[in-house]
Amino acid sequence: MKRVGVFVCDCGTNIAAVVDTERVAREATEMPGVVFATTYKYMCSDPGQDLIKKAIREHNLQQVVVASCSPRMHENTFRKAIADVGLNPYLFEMVNIREQDSWVHADKEQATRKASDLVRMAVFKVLKNKPLQTGTIPITKRALVVGAGIAGMQSALDIAEAGYEVVLVDREATIGGRMVQLDKTFPTLDCSA
Amino acid sequence: MVAVAQHPNIKMYTYAEIEAVSGYIGNFTVTIRRKAKYVDWDKCNGCGTCETKCPSKNIKNEFDLGLGTRTAIHKAFPQAVPNKPVIDAENCRKFKTGKCGVCEKICPTKAINFEDKDELVTENVGAIVMATGFDLFDWTETYGEYGYGRFPDVVSGLHFERLVNASGPTGGKIKRPSDGRIPESVAFIKCVGSRDDTKGKTYCSRACCMYTAKHAMQVKEKIPGSEAYVFYMDVRTAGKNYEEFYQRGVNAGVKYIRGRVSKIYPRGDKLVLKSEDTLLGRPIEVEVDMVVLATAMVPARGSAELAKLVGFSTDKDGFFQEAHPKLQPVETFTGGVYLAGACQGPKDIPDTVAQASAAAVKVCGLFSKPELATQPMVSEVEAGKCSGCEFCVPICPYKAITMKAIQERGHGGVIERRVATVNEGLCQGCGACVGACRSGALNLKGFTDEQIVAEVDALCL
Repeated sequence: MKRVGVFVCDCGTNIAAVVDTERVAREATEMPGVVFATTYKYMCSDPGQDLIKKAIREHNLQQVVVASCSPRMHENTFRKAIADVGLNPYLFEMVNIREQDSWVHADKEQATRKASDLVRMAVFKVLKNKPLQTGTIPITKRALVVGAGIAGMQSALDIAEAGYEVVLVDREATIGGRMVQLDKTFPTLDCSA
Repeated sequence: MVAVAQHPNIKMYTYAEIEAVSGYIGNFTVTIRRKAKYVDWDKCNGCGTCETKCPSKNIKNEFDLGLGTRTAIHKAFPQAVPNKPVIDAENCRKFKTGKCGVCEKICPTKAINFEDKDELVTENVGAIVMATGFDLFDWTETYGEYGYGRFPDVVSGLHFERLVNASGPTGGKIKRPSDGRIPESVAFIKCVGSRDDTKGKTYCSRACCMYTAKHAMQVKEKIPGSEAYVFYMDVRTAGKNYEEFYQRGVNAGVKYIRGRVSKIYPRGDKLVLKSEDTLLGRPIEVEVDMVVLATAMVPARGSAELAKLVGFSTDKDGFFQEAHPKLQPVETFTGGVYLAGACQGPKDIPDTVAQASAAAVKVCGLFSKPELATQPMVSEVEAGKCSGCEFCVPICPYKAITMKAIQERGHGGVIERRVATVNEGLCQGCGACVGACRSGALNLKGFTDEQIVAEVDALCL
């Protein structure tokens, strides 16, 4: 059996006010493969990440589960942290016990049970995770800008100034868009053309 | 504008539209339709003789929103960039009757070409910035109380801009469209189409409070002794120096009246506005010479089709959808496609410029890397299981799945058959194909059937 570590985040009181994170961590230690489980106030903070890294080294963890916020927020943060100590960043699962639990429930008992269930699902899944490798693709370093109003012109100029080629397309015969139809512009009342 | 046209790194295609986009972040192929201009811009020197001699006159000038006229061969305005004309075939006498060709005869550089055709060009790019801007809400369709556009002196804010603009149809003099008289009193109505969930849009168009303040001030400044009334629901001046600007207007004598105008009707050659002054709590009536409506910003015409063509989503109002309202306001859900300006939502010029530069930085950030790391959670095909049914091909929203021929040993020989294959650059890992695959050949890495079943087991067993 692989060695799994579970890290439950309080997110200040965002999670801990509704979910008994201590209990979630305690229950996690009963789950298959879990050799280490703990809580921390802000798992995404530097000390939080250090805690994860230290635990990976000390407990020789092979798979990591973090129960905290939406993966849209910090999945990359934690992937980087575990990659720092040599683990494949995809031997990791993130459990959302904030947006999908503490923020939408009021009953502490039920919310805590839900958090435990979500963590158990992630533990079962992470045991099946395989290391994944990122590939690379080439980049054509030219940009297309669609629309040559003030927005398109500004973008095109900035990109062109940075040294890249820009293809600027407008359906009208002239560039300028709406801006050139205007007279003076607020709040400085300078000419818009 | 001239800086754009002269920049050695910028290649301009004006009078052109996006025809097709394929590929993915870092590697897009774009087909651009260059519409027939009937003028060879390489030969044309922009002298403008053709415009003065063109007999197809008195066509409503779109650039001036119909307030002025133009000829069939025309430039949008005298300072157009590039400063070259196009022929509007719909109104050109040569195209309509076959006879004319005056421009062809007088053009000193022989630039006129009636045989010109649309031309398709292909460009390879790594990133796309969408900056298609806005149109104005068509109030004449819905606002019957303001006359459905029947009163010529009830105009939109953009009309007013053309009237007050020195290069506009009146040379910068504020004149009534009906009789060319200089109005002594002008009323402005804000939130026409904005913040109106019964007839218009639910959102605030953000720029109108400020440009209306500007318009009212311009009336006071350009027409001595004039009156300017602004009918408003709220005055929203959340921007640097905006509140001060609005106060300048108030101090200049612009009269702000809090209330919605319920009706506009003519009385003699004047217009009467009926409203309530909600601060006084009583009905009021104001007689003016001209009314300017601050109409809502809506996505530019064709936005929805363009979004579909390039391959990203729009929001409930048809504006281009950003990846996150706070944290990713310039990105779309499609890698390599960024947003700038009012195409993403109503915006004023300072915000537009800021977002445009932000989009540019995103593009430069992408280009600063030697190559792009792909996310590994993509679909993969187990060729042995694939039956070649092709169900997954149309399901994929990113056009990432194609069929390829493979050779297999079997039945005492080698047989060739077709199986699905996934382009890892295009695949966004959405998993739609996995659900559609009847033979279980497709799996999403990181979300394999085995992993999903393990999760279900964890919950149910």
